Amino acid sequence: MMALTDFLRDVGNDSALLLGGLRSTLLLATTISITGFVGGVLVFFCTLTSNRIGRYWVESYISFFIGTPLLVLLFLMYYGLPQWGVRLSPLWVSIIGFTLNVAAYNARYLTTAYRGLDTGELEAARAQGFTSWQVFTLITLPQVLRLSIPGLTNQVILNLKDSSIAFLIQYTEFFAQIQELSARNFKFFQAYLFAGIVYLGLVSVIVLIARHLEAKCMIPGVRG
Amino acid sequence: MRFSGILALLLEGAGYTLLVTVSCVITGLVTGLGIVALRRLFGKGVARLLALYTYVFRGIPVLVLLFIVFFGLPGLGIRPSPLVSMMLSLGLVCGAYLAEVFRGALDAVDPHEIIAAEVMGLSRLQVILSIEFPQMLRLAVPGMLNEFTTVLKYSPFGYTVGIPEITKQAMALASTTLRGIEIYTAVGVLYFGIYQLLCLLMRMIERKFRVPGFATQ
Amino acid sequence: MALLEIKDLVKRFDGRTVLNGVTFELNEGQTKVIMGPSGCGKSTLLRCLNRLLEPDGGQIFFRGEDVALPDTDIRQHRQRIGFVFQQFALYRHLTVLENITLGLRKLRRLSTAAADKKAAYQLERMEMGAHRLKYPAHLSVGQKQRVAIARALAMDPAVLFFDEPTSALDPLMSLEVAAVINQLRSENVTMLCVTHDVSLARHVTDRVIFLDDGQVKAEDSAEQLLTTHADPRIRQFFGQPAALK
Repeated sequence: MMALTDFLRDVGNDSALLLGGLRSTLLLATTISITGFVGGVLVFFCTLTSNRIGRYWVESYISFFIGTPLLVLLFLMYYGLPQWGVRLSPLWVSIIGFTLNVAAYNARYLTTAYRGLDTGELEAARAQGFTSWQVFTLITLPQVLRLSIPGLTNQVILNLKDSSIAFLIQYTEFFAQIQELSARNFKFFQAYLFAGIVYLGLVSVIVLIARHLEAKCMIPGVRG
Repeated sequence: MRFSGILALLLEGAGYTLLVTVSCVITGLVTGLGIVALRRLFGKGVARLLALYTYVFRGIPVLVLLFIVFFGLPGLGIRPSPLVSMMLSLGLVCGAYLAEVFRGALDAVDPHEIIAAEVMGLSRLQVILSIEFPQMLRLAVPGMLNEFTTVLKYSPFGYTVGIPEITKQAMALASTTLRGIEIYTAVGVLYFGIYQLLCLLMRMIERKFRVPGFATQ
Repeated sequence: MALLEIKDLVKRFDGRTVLNGVTFELNEGQTKVIMGPSGCGKSTLLRCLNRLLEPDGGQIFFRGEDVALPDTDIRQHRQRIGFVFQQFALYRHLTVLENITLGLRKLRRLSTAAADKKAAYQLERMEMGAHRLKYPAHLSVGQKQRVAIARALAMDPAVLFFDEPTSALDPLMSLEVAAVINQLRSENVTMLCVTHDVSLARHVTDRVIFLDDGQVKAEDSAEQLLTTHADPRIRQFFGQPAALK
């Protein structure tokens, strides 16, 4: 019991640093969720091209980023690029690396949902005289997005959790500050457990929002 | 350093990467299947406990879990080895996700077949092992491949606890040769190769166990 | 002048010739039914006429202008044709009303109010006014069909295409569809209908076109073609109950 109050006092003393770290975590997670979403939609649009070579490249992009660890990409940019005189800040490396990666995943969710779509509706829209961009934005995207809400929100949760690896390239987010804290008071177990509970709390908030969103956006008669 | 020397070190790392991945995948499969079976066999109370487990392990970052296990537990007098630490963090996370994959696949099993098996007089466990699991596993192949891929992609965390897998070798090589771009690019390709191998393996397994007309995409 | 004049239309899929020189006309205010065994190219023909599929040869004159030419404004052309699909193809994420107004707002550039008004009129015409805020999933099959027709009519098309309008319906509802088509006929709507439902053809048409092996094998009044035609293959086709085909 004493140990716990001691630890909480340490947390209180360092609260400014920890809150700063939390802000950095949320900044990174929010940014990459947005850029990754936009990127995912664009990549998904590219997968719909009838150009065979174009589609091959888009598919290769998606499967390469799904098949390689993000950490390697971050290391490549952070430790490799200075060799060519390109020095990016940890935040920028994280944003670029995560965006490339998350966009690939989101595009995959959207493609999967698209395969389940009723092609008759797309044909009907073309028969009505809509342009392919109109068919995409008016018919395809609204349905595909709603069908992919579970996948897409899951990706936001992954973004939040995975943002913790940015500390490995010296981005001082929440987990990095936790490291600092534990290095000072040597209460490793409590510190990391505390970090785990904070992440779990944040994830729970996203889950609640996602459920709300899912219920609100449901299309009657379409399995989500 | 010569190119062949670099390659040799990276391949040595690849061995450890595979070791970490396979150990964590096995841990995940055992826990995932165990969770599903327990949920099927016991009532609501157990199911709720298992739901809590999956929720917690899917809600905490793998890296944080790994640090709790490897750097935190020694404070309580428990000293897991690096590989065991990976299994207790990444492996258990994999198990939590796999449990969800299996649950989804289990929902797709035809309930009439289960009733038919029960009517025949099979015990609950027999039904699970002879009807539900064989169908569930076939339906779960795409989901399992996803989770195995995730394990492979998080295996670089092994370097933070001192496992000399690909990423750790690459970091050492990059700092001695100052050729980070080439080395990390090669590493990316190497991981992608392992990923392709994994996909191929899963396809082979799927083909071997394929039942005509069942769960064909 | 004919509204549609089709000359020697050819369509191939992977070397297989599905349409092999189809020729016929459709006049303003006329209703024609295209019949034939499955795989005779009926649906392909409709899709070529509004260029959902690219014809490999021949001409399609729409009010005297060849719309099979590569430089045709395809979207402009499609907007003149109302297409009612076999599976109705209602947009599932939109309400009944929105299904109809989408084209009016985005293609005709009508204001929301004007589009709503126009859509409401078409829904009343199809006796679907009470259902305008429902989603497609909440409609019966017959209601879906009426919405699909209202959606097509709202664009003021020069001609209405029906692709197997009764294949998803039970016999009673098929009669209902026939009634709707007859209602439109009495209002002088030009229609082209692909079907293998003999009773539908009997009920709604002036002229039946018999399509087989990718060619027009006969064209005549429904009674003539269905009962006394010289070609035994045609007599045999129509002699069987519709349910067996």
